[in-house]
Order: sequence, then C-alpha cells, then structure tokens
Amino acid sequence: MSADTLQVLASAGKGESTRTILRFIILSLIAGAAIASRLFSVIRKCPLSAGSQLLSWQSRPSRRGQLSGLLRLSAFWAALLTAASFQVSRALFTNVGSPSLSQSCARAERQSRMVADNPLVDPWFNFRATKYLVANGFYKFWDWFDDRTWHPLGRVTGGTLYPGLMVTSGAIYHALRALTIPVDIRNICVLLAPAFSGLTAFAAYLLTNEMTPSPSAGLLAAIFMGIAPGYISRSVAGSYDNEAIAIFLLVFTFFLWIRALKQGSMLWGVLCALFYGYMVASWGGYAFITCLLPLHAFVLICMGRYSTRLYVAYTTWYALGTLASMQIPFVGFLPVKTSEHMPALGIFGFLQLLAFLDYVRSAIPSRQFQTFLWLFAGGTFGLGLAALVVATSAGFIAPWSGRFYSLWDTGYAKIHIPIIASVSEHQPTAWPAFFFDLNMLIWLFPAGVYLCFQNLADEHVFIVVYALFGSYFAGVMVRLMLTLTPVVCVAAAISASSLLDTYLNVKSPNAEEHPADDNTDGKKSGKTGLKSTSKPVVGIYGWLSKGTVAGAMTVYLLLFVMHCTWVTSNAYSSPSVVLASRMPDGSQHIIDDYREAYQWLRQNTKEDAKIMSWWDYGYQIGGMADRPTLVDNNTWNNTHIATVGKAMSSREEVSYPIMRQHEVDYVLVVFGGLLGYSGDDINKFLWMVRIAEGIWPDEVKEREFFTPRGEYRVDGEATETMKNSLMYKMSYYNYNSLFPPGQAQDRVRQSRLPEVGPSLSTIEEAFTSENWIIRIYKVKDLDNFGRDHASAAAFDRGLKKKKAAKKRGPRQLRVD
Amino acid sequence: MRWLPAFVSALCATGTLAAKKSTEQRFNEFHTKSLASTPVKLLDANYRELTSTPRDYTAAILLTALDARFGCQLCREFQPEWDLLSKSWIKGDKAGESRLVLATLDFSDGREIFMSLGLQTAPVLFLFPPTTGPHAAASPEPIRYDFVNGPQSAEQIHAWLSRHLPDRPHPPVKRPINWIKWIFTTVMLSGTVTAAVVAWPYVLPIIQNRNVWAAISLISILLFTSGHMFNRIRGVPYVSGDGRGGISYFASGFQNQYGMETQIVAAMYGVLSFAAIALTIKVPRIADPKAQSVAVLAWGGALFLMYSFLLSIFRVKNAGYPFALPPFM
Repeated sequence: MSADTLQVLASAGKGESTRTILRFIILSLIAGAAIASRLFSVIRKCPLSAGSQLLSWQSRPSRRGQLSGLLRLSAFWAALLTAASFQVSRALFTNVGSPSLSQSCARAERQSRMVADNPLVDPWFNFRATKYLVANGFYKFWDWFDDRTWHPLGRVTGGTLYPGLMVTSGAIYHALRALTIPVDIRNICVLLAPAFSGLTAFAAYLLTNEMTPSPSAGLLAAIFMGIAPGYISRSVAGSYDNEAIAIFLLVFTFFLWIRALKQGSMLWGVLCALFYGYMVASWGGYAFITCLLPLHAFVLICMGRYSTRLYVAYTTWYALGTLASMQIPFVGFLPVKTSEHMPALGIFGFLQLLAFLDYVRSAIPSRQFQTFLWLFAGGTFGLGLAALVVATSAGFIAPWSGRFYSLWDTGYAKIHIPIIASVSEHQPTAWPAFFFDLNMLIWLFPAGVYLCFQNLADEHVFIVVYALFGSYFAGVMVRLMLTLTPVVCVAAAISASSLLDTYLNVKSPNAEEHPADDNTDGKKSGKTGLKSTSKPVVGIYGWLSKGTVAGAMTVYLLLFVMHCTWVTSNAYSSPSVVLASRMPDGSQHIIDDYREAYQWLRQNTKEDAKIMSWWDYGYQIGGMADRPTLVDNNTWNNTHIATVGKAMSSREEVSYPIMRQHEVDYVLVVFGGLLGYSGDDINKFLWMVRIAEGIWPDEVKEREFFTPRGEYRVDGEATETMKNSLMYKMSYYNYNSLFPPGQAQDRVRQSRLPEVGPSLSTIEEAFTSENWIIRIYKVKDLDNFGRDHASAAAFDRGLKKKKAAKKRGPRQLRVD
Repeated sequence: MRWLPAFVSALCATGTLAAKKSTEQRFNEFHTKSLASTPVKLLDANYRELTSTPRDYTAAILLTALDARFGCQLCREFQPEWDLLSKSWIKGDKAGESRLVLATLDFSDGREIFMSLGLQTAPVLFLFPPTTGPHAAASPEPIRYDFVNGPQSAEQIHAWLSRHLPDRPHPPVKRPINWIKWIFTTVMLSGTVTAAVVAWPYVLPIIQNRNVWAAISLISILLFTSGHMFNRIRGVPYVSGDGRGGISYFASGFQNQYGMETQIVAAMYGVLSFAAIALTIKVPRIADPKAQSVAVLAWGGALFLMYSFLLSIFRVKNAGYPFALPPFM
C-alpha cells in the first residue's frame, strides 16, 4: 500500500501523475464501495438517478484525452457502486427512521450467513472469545479454560483456536481507545469483516498488477473482488468469522510471494512469511497456502525455471513462515509432522539440492557433472522415499487429518466420519452454486487463464496452478469456493481488461499497412508461444466492431452488478438467526423465534443451567443465552456428540439416566413442522442416529428408524423406535392440540400426524416459541416418592397403578 | 488323517437315522460340511435343522438371491466377500472352537423360509445365537443384519460377527494375494516405462508444448467449475426420465444436477470462454478488415446468444432469478 503512495509521489513531477492519482482515487472508491456494499448488504435496486451525475463526471477525463477508455469504464463502475451504496444507505436510513449506529449494527450483526441446512454460528463464539480477550488481556486469553462449553469436560480454548481474528479486533479496540475514541468492542466485531473486504479489494489490485502490464486490469480485479457474491457471502457486516480477515491475508500473501519471486528479494520474502504467519494465526485454511506455494515452486522447477530468485524467495518464506506458524499453540509441531505440510518441507529440501547442484555445475566440467548428477539425484530420491516410508509407518508422521483427507478421497468422509459429512458446508458443489457465486466471471475465468499462457512468466504459472488447484477444491467442498474467488477475480480481470483494451482503442489500423498474407514470422514464434498468437497483432478496424463488443461488454458488466446486488440482498443478507418470510400480500414477516427462545433462557433459568441441544446450536446458546452447553460447533470430541445423539434418539428410559449423568437441566429442540422450516432437528435426526450408531452400534440402529419399506416417516406409519425416540416426542409433544382432532399436519415433511400425540414422562415442556421453532423442555428431578417417572406420570394422568401387593398373595411371616 | 472326515460323516449318517439329533451332533455335522466346502449351502430341511433349538453353537446364515432372475445386484456383489469371510474363518478355526457355522440359503432353495420370515429384500444376514451352553443368549431370536449401506466388505461383517461373539476366537479375514493384479501391474508398469523411454524424443515436444498444457488446464477448469466433482461424489444419474416418457436433461432444484446437465453447462462455458478468447486474441490478428468485422459479429453474437441461453437455464434451476437477455427471455 505504501508502494503505491510512493509511486504517486515519485511520478508527481512527470506527466503520469494525474493518471496515477486518479487511479488511486478510483481504487479507494472501489474499496469504499466494497465496504459499503457489505455494511448495507440489503442493497435493493440501484437507483437510476445515480447515473446522471456519473455521466457528467465521465465526460471530464475524455476531454483531456489522457485516460484510456478502460480506465474511464472502471471509474464509471467504481463510482456507480459507491453512489449506489450511498443511495441505498440513504434509503435505508429514511426507511428505518433515524437509527443510531448500534441499532444498525445490531441489524447487521444478525445478517451473518446464508442459511443452509446447518447454520454454522461461529461468529457467536468468536464474539464471546473477543470479549474475554478484551476484558482479561492477552495472556489470560492464551490460557483460557472455558468451563461453560462441553459440559462436563470443558475446553482448553486458548490452545484450540486460531487467535488471529480476536487479536486483530482487540488491537483495533485498544488502538481506538488510545486515540480516545470510545467504541464498543461489539461494533468493532461487527464491522471488521467489511473493513477487511476493502483491504481485500486492494490486495487483489496489487496481485493483478503483478500479472499484467495493463493498468486497468488491477482496477477491474478490485471491483470484481469487491462485489463477487462468493466473497460477499463471508464478509457482510456481522459475519465475524475467521474467513473475514483470512481472505485478505490469503490474497496479500500471494501478492507478496509473487513480488518476492519476481525480484528474488529477501525483504519481500520476509514480509510474505510474516503475513503467512498472520494467516496461520487466523484460519485453518492456511494449509491452502502451504500447499500452493510449494506446488508453484515445483511446477517452476519442472519447467526448468529454477533460479536464484526462486531459491531466495522460497527458502526465506519457508524458514521464517514455518517458525512463525509454530508459535500458534493450536498448530504447534504440526508443520513438521503432518502430511499436508510435507510438500512444503520436501520442496524446501529439493531446492537446497538444486542449489547445491547449481554450485557444483559451475565448479566441475560438464561430463563429470552428468555422472555426478545421476548418482546424486538417484541416491537422494531413494533415501528420501525410504525415510518417508519409514517415518510414516513408524508413526512419526501423523496420518492425514480427516477433514483434509476427505478432499482427496471423496468417498472417505461418507464411510468413516459421519460428523464431517453432516456439515452442509462440506458437501460438493453443484454447478448452479458456481454460477450463483461468480456469474459471468465463471466464463471469463478460463479465458483469463488462457491469456496467462500467452507469455508464460513465473507469475503466470502461479495463476494457472492456483486456478487448477482452487477449482478442484471448490468443486469438492462448497466452503472452499471462498479460496477460488480471488483467482477467478484476477483471471477474469485480466481477460476483461485485455478485451476492453483491444476494443476501446481510439486508433484504428490502416488496411494498407498490413497485407493479408503476412505470414513470415508466424512460424518462428509458433514454436514456443501459443498457436493463436503466431500472427502479429493488427488491431480493430471499424467503429462498428468496437462499438458492438464494447456495448455487449457493458451489458454483461451491468448484468453482473445487478446479479451481485440481487444475490446479496436475497441470499446472503438473510441472517441465520432471524428468518424473513413474505406474506401473501408481499409484506415482509420477521420470524424471530431463536432470539425469543434464547432470551427466555437467559431470563428464566439459572446462571449455570446446562442446556442440551444438537451441536449446531451450541455456539448460539453460549453466545446469546449465556448458558453452558453439552456440545457445540467446535467438534473435537466425537464421543460426546454421540452421547447427545444417543440421548436424542433413544427411548426416554434410556435417555433420562444419560441426561442425569450430564446434569442436563433443559433440552432444546428445533421444530419446523408448524412453519415449514426445513432446517429443523427432525430433518437432521438421521445424522444424530448415525453418529450415535458409530459409537454404540448395538443400542442405536439407523435401520430401525426406517419403515420396512425403507422410508423415513413421521406420521402414523413411523416405526416404534422413531415414535419412542426422545427427539420425536419432544418435537411433536402437544402438537395436535393446535389442530382440530385428526388434522395435525407436519408442513415440512407434508404428512399427517397420528391422532394421539406422544406423551412425555421424564421431561416437561418449559417453553415453546411463537412459531414453535424452538421448544425447550425441563428435565424432571427424581420423583419425591421414589417412583419411576413413567408410573408417576401415569398416576398424574389419573391412571391408577395396579396394586402389585394383591398378586403377592397372603402375607407370610419372615423367617430368618 | 484322511479317515477322520469319513469317520465323522459316517457317524453323522448314523445320526440322521435318529429322529432328533443332539445339538453337539448337529454342530459336528455342519462343521464337517463347512470344512469340505464353506459356506455351507443350505436347503429348506437342513435350514430348519440348523436353526432348531436347543443349540449350543452360533449360526450365521446369509439369506440371498443369487439367481439372475431376481436381479439382485447387491447379493452378487456381496457373495465373494461372504465366501472369503467364511473361508478364512473356517481356515483359522478348524477345530470349531468358535462354535460358529457359516451358511448360505438361496431364495431358489428355500422359498418357504423366506416367506415365513416375511423377507422382502435380500440379502439379509441372520445370526442365531446359542440357546444353551456357556454363551447362551437370552432370546433364541436371531440378530438381523441389513445391508442398508450397500455391499459391505468381509472385514465389516467380521467386525459385526466378532462383536456378537465375545470370548471366542475370531480368525481374521485373510484376503488371498491377487497374483493376477500384481503380475498385471508389474507388466503394465514395465511396459509403460519402456514405452516412455522409447517414445521420449517424440513425447518431449508434446510435453513442452504450451498449447497442450493450455488445453489441459482449460478443460479441467471447465470440468471442475461445472460440477464434475459433485457427480463423482454423489454418483448422480446421467439423465433421467421426466415421467411422461421423455428425457429431462436438467434436474429440478438448486442443489441437484445430472451428469449430462453438467456436460451441457461445461460446453456452454467453453463456448463463452472461447468466444472471449477469440475476440481478444484472434480477431485483432485478422489483417483483412472485412473478414475481421464478420468475425467480430460472429463471435460477439455467439457470446451473446450463449450467455442468454445460460441465463435462461439458470432460471430453470433457480425459479426466482430475475435477469435475462433478449433471445431466450
């Protein structure tokens, strides 16, 4: 960032200065627009009035004739975006009245994530951790043992999280305090992701500028990065998640790596390692960098492009970066132990060998060098392979961790780790999701990669490798769309800018200068370059051609902006905690059951009342209701989760002792049957059964939840196991009292429920939210008379207990 | 020791004469049979004999339908695994210490049994626990194993059996070395290496050719971004009927797709990218002004039409999508 400022200063005396300053202004506008669009991620339609002021603004640079057409176009877009977001913000403010900052923040905070089947709610945990950090200081935070989660185990939180996010917001908080700006840590947490998205747009600009001489490509990349839905999904206001800062760090680390590689500079290498260390501290996805940089180096070596520049850049990055990453307790010694870090280590060793060979070659005659080379290479390879095999089989190197392994062997997770397969973010990506998240970039992207082949320098190889690697992983896991988005933006920007550069050129070639059969030097360059670039560039002749293509591109770009706006306002701004639905008359109806229920828990239960729920809601309960939970979204203990699964899927008589042993006070279930909310617990129920079955195969059997014909039913045909399971009973308890007799209907599964609903004896209904989405049950204490709960409940219902004494016959005198 | 089986079978032969054999006799008989060929192939009559109470042994019986008429794919896929399991079990337990008989009952041999058990699917594995003796179970009812997750490997069934047979020896599953596969691999590998060495001078220019690598990269990117990995992981059908006798190329729903659908989408992306490439690289290199403007219009038109078509298809997948371009509104 300072480099650009320096450039501005340096070129101030030359003719370029206006251009550079203007570019800088545009860039900051783009960054501002990116931030603003996330803050007010409810962008509605772009008001047309914004266009008029733009047109007048646009005419100024063209009069001077200094700017290329493309620069104008990107300026247009940047300004359009900014104007649009300001318009929207104004509309928002007039609509809402005059909301204070905290109100709009609270509004934004709710807009955390697209609701899939499993809303992951990490922001709540991160927020809680940040509050702890700010309140207790860094060293306390490092040693934080959290006894309010994973009851009764607790969690060594300080050692099992990536602290980058919390430390970043903590640092900002303290910096602002030092500047005597009083600000709530909550506001910093909410606004952190949009702020970093502006930086990401800037990093994308820098990265693209390394790739192409065209000055406009970087600006386009910044625009694309700023509004691509694939990235907006994780950076709207309130999505206070690791990815919020990690994507900026990812792109910026890549930029520094390219810089270091191009210049062979140790300084840039050190910076790259520093940002890599920051990335490791922030997100588990750092493994993506750890694998991509060695791969890039390896491909370069295979292409015969080993150079001292590569040696300096790579070894600097690896040595310092690994040391930096090992400072994080959660990572620790993983970089020298696990297999996903091995490529980086291997390439590091390989580069040393290559450097050594390079030196030897300069010292001895070439014929001896050949023999030496073969012996040396063969020996090293053999030794290395043997060492790897021995170390793996002896257990020095840990096997691949499950999450990572499931990326390579796609059938792995399904068989071995149901808990990973159950998270919707770990599902493979269908094509509509790609188009939804990237729109027209998806077809500009391959074109950009092809253009990189044109003059294949080291940095272009990086784009190609990243594109292949990234698109593979994005196809395997929806979540990794996030790591693909930067390269898509860069490649698409390269493609779009060279297209526009070609067609928005005022100069037309002269037909006489270029005879049609000019084919002399074509064959020479065809050997190394691409086939399609064998002929010399002529240029575009007619205004018609230029106009057509430029016009069509404008239409596509407009469509892209509209698409992004639409996606953001429809999908990614709908918060996971508050559901919005449309009434028949088109008005919006807010369903706020989650918050209602958490508020109830906060106000009506003891401070240390233990809440049992499925793990999806653990962080929310911890963050919003401030109550200890049994399991939460940090899935480190499969057995404990399976215990909860077993309690949910077994009969009451089995579940009750489990709940007593874990001191459960309340049980929370999510039920969407009344409203037709499909992400409820009955739909997730099979995962609970499967996970429990993995630990207790004899007690919980998935087969028994299916009818003999293999259907998963909840109506009268449901199996006995299903009907007697705690989850089923809690979901449908008293549900038919809402309907006329025999009419009870489940609107998610579209089935009619049996006339007599389930009865509960060991737990009692404590709370049910307005739309029945959340139901909370209180676990009964032991019976006062020592009866078991079933007979006590039967007694309360008025069924007389059969007197067992009568069957016993006449009394007998006890004889010793 | 040749005489031992003969002796035992003679003993059994005399045993059959008796109206009801003791449990010890029955186990010996079936164990001998399984030493000869395992798993024991059951018929209607000896199924009842094997499962009759009291018994002091365990019987694992696979009820299957191997005949091609029934078209039970799962049965045929699982059968080699079951044979392997029983062979290695019997081999490791010749003395019969685990007191387990592994047997198979085919549907064509025991139609009545299937009826009486009310089975509607095959294969099903039943484990009849002993009713007397040291390992007697509380209920004589068999434990049922359903193949809900597709064909299981011998090791998985072995684990299941071992769990239900505590305190008894569990001979491990020993897979025979697949010599054919090893020989095949070795031959193929050496052949490949030889071919590579011989063809190296001819292959090298191809490997170093930038066009080839560009093509490979673009094709893989197009495959990945059009949801190929989704097809691989989920095993989606290639196409599917629309219920009226026709073919539906596009799956309904945002999270769903067919194999053919992804190929169509990949082809559309390919056309769009290629048009963009052609407009950027090829067209400015056309020296003839007429030809150039024709090319611009052709590629630009192709791009526009294809994008419009893509948007229309996306509207099929996502019903609420509001944007469209002219020809395919």
